[in-house]
Amino acid sequence: MSSATRPYLLDFYPLEDEKYTRIAPFFIHLRAGRLTTTKCERDGSVHWPPRVACPNCHGTQLAWVDLPRSGRLYAFSALYLGLPLGMEQDAGAVVGLVELGDTHIKIFSRITGRKYEEIHIGDAVELETFDIDDGRVFYRFKFKV
Amino acid sequence: MRKVALVGGGLSTWGVRSATWGELVQEAGSQLFATTRNLDAKSIDSLFVGAAQPERLAFQSHVAPMVAELLGVKPSRFIRRVELACASGQTAIHDAYAAIASGLSDVALVVGIEKMNLPSMPEATTAMANVLDRAWDGVHGGTAPPFFAMVAQRHMLEYGTTAEQMAAVSVKNHRFANSNPTAQFYSKTFSKEKLLSGPFVSPPLRIGDCSSMTDGAGAVLLVGEELAKNYTDTPAWVVATSQYSDFHNLANMPSLTDWVGLRKAAHDLYARGRTEPTQISLAEVHDCFTISEIVEYEGLGFCPKGEGGRFVSDGQSDLGGQVVVNPRGGLLGCGHPLGATGVGQAVEVLGQFQSTVAGSRLVKGATQALTHNLSGSANVHTLTLYRRAN
Ligand SMILES: [Zn+2]
Repeated sequence: MSSATRPYLLDFYPLEDEKYTRIAPFFIHLRAGRLTTTKCERDGSVHWPPRVACPNCHGTQLAWVDLPRSGRLYAFSALYLGLPLGMEQDAGAVVGLVELGDTHIKIFSRITGRKYEEIHIGDAVELETFDIDDGRVFYRFKFKV
Repeated sequence: MRKVALVGGGLSTWGVRSATWGELVQEAGSQLFATTRNLDAKSIDSLFVGAAQPERLAFQSHVAPMVAELLGVKPSRFIRRVELACASGQTAIHDAYAAIASGLSDVALVVGIEKMNLPSMPEATTAMANVLDRAWDGVHGGTAPPFFAMVAQRHMLEYGTTAEQMAAVSVKNHRFANSNPTAQFYSKTFSKEKLLSGPFVSPPLRIGDCSSMTDGAGAVLLVGEELAKNYTDTPAWVVATSQYSDFHNLANMPSLTDWVGLRKAAHDLYARGRTEPTQISLAEVHDCFTISEIVEYEGLGFCPKGEGGRFVSDGQSDLGGQVVVNPRGGLLGCGHPLGATGVGQAVEVLGQFQSTVAGSRLVKGATQALTHNLSGSANVHTLTLYRRAN
């Protein structure tokens, strides 16, 4: 699913370079194993995904903060039929909402390492970063062993 | 505000069609012109086209003038396409209602249309994966089935809802579709056993829990109060509309199982229409998945929170129950051509009020009906209240 092989408008992954986005630091942090997001310096709101202005107070003074790298499965399912272009080979993949540490944030993510039949609500998962084959990096979660 | 009447409706046949986007529009438009008395294309001053993704699914944008040309209308007040994913059709009706109620339009045509079956199914499902937040949720495989699967998983955990109760929604709606010749599942048999032994799309949702990829179109005519009698003796009066949108990225969703936005939109609709849920005899709601209809019974106030599963298994949403839900066949039975669905629901309400639908799905004496569409991850809810009497 890389931009080298796919037209941009069929590429699910965000463009990461500062040439294309103002949240390039998110991806730089991710490459270092950190899951980060923006926090409003005026009202303290923590956003997901990262923003360039606070949707709560519209302030633009935002700081990068670390999110917990581990969490628990709040809900999950798997992708058996109807997978989009470029994901056809992923049939059976598990997806779920991960409740991050003690934050209010539940992130939707691909979950690797176990089959659907082997998992339960509340199972512990942790951040996993991976390389997209065109030099970009992205995140998903894996089961803790 | 001026009163607004829905006075005519027409549908194409819905299903996996050997027909293009534009051909479906012409089928629905021809039905509207054939069944609405005194309808002259020259009297139509406005056109609202509900279409979710013509760019992705038909490689065509700027579709409203294309529809105008296909149906021989030359709008002079409003012409536009309206997009709100799965609610595009009903939202187009809202825009026509607002235009007429304000006095800026007198006769408005609404067309809802989607052509979803492409030679490549993954290309079509790609157009579904950009409805959620594509770069953060869609990128992980976030489309409708896994999202509503998580709703079902949590509803089962929190309230004890069962796969059999979810199947009861699909059995009811497929049975109704067997009386609707325009429905995708009109001539297909369906049973609880067939559903419960079918393959999973996203567990716990099996294929029979999910609405289909459908080609279809619909058209309705809305006019100002003083013009209604020209077109029909029994219009469906648009009494109230409401919408609510409260998040987009899944991380910002208040609850998987309690659709706060639906409760808010329903409260507003009943207040604006000076009515309450017990006064609704017929509801066309957004059963994109079986679990959706169950959560909607609760959000619309037809039953208490958590009791939606029992509501359907007790027959309360069937003929003879508290409120007949989806007599058209719903999205499960009719298919779900995104932009056309809300228009199809409106056509059903008109047909019910006029008693022109098949007797096996007729809600006798229905005087008040609502239509509901959710869109995306149930993050937007769109509602319309109709009455038989002005
Ligand atoms: Zn702020």
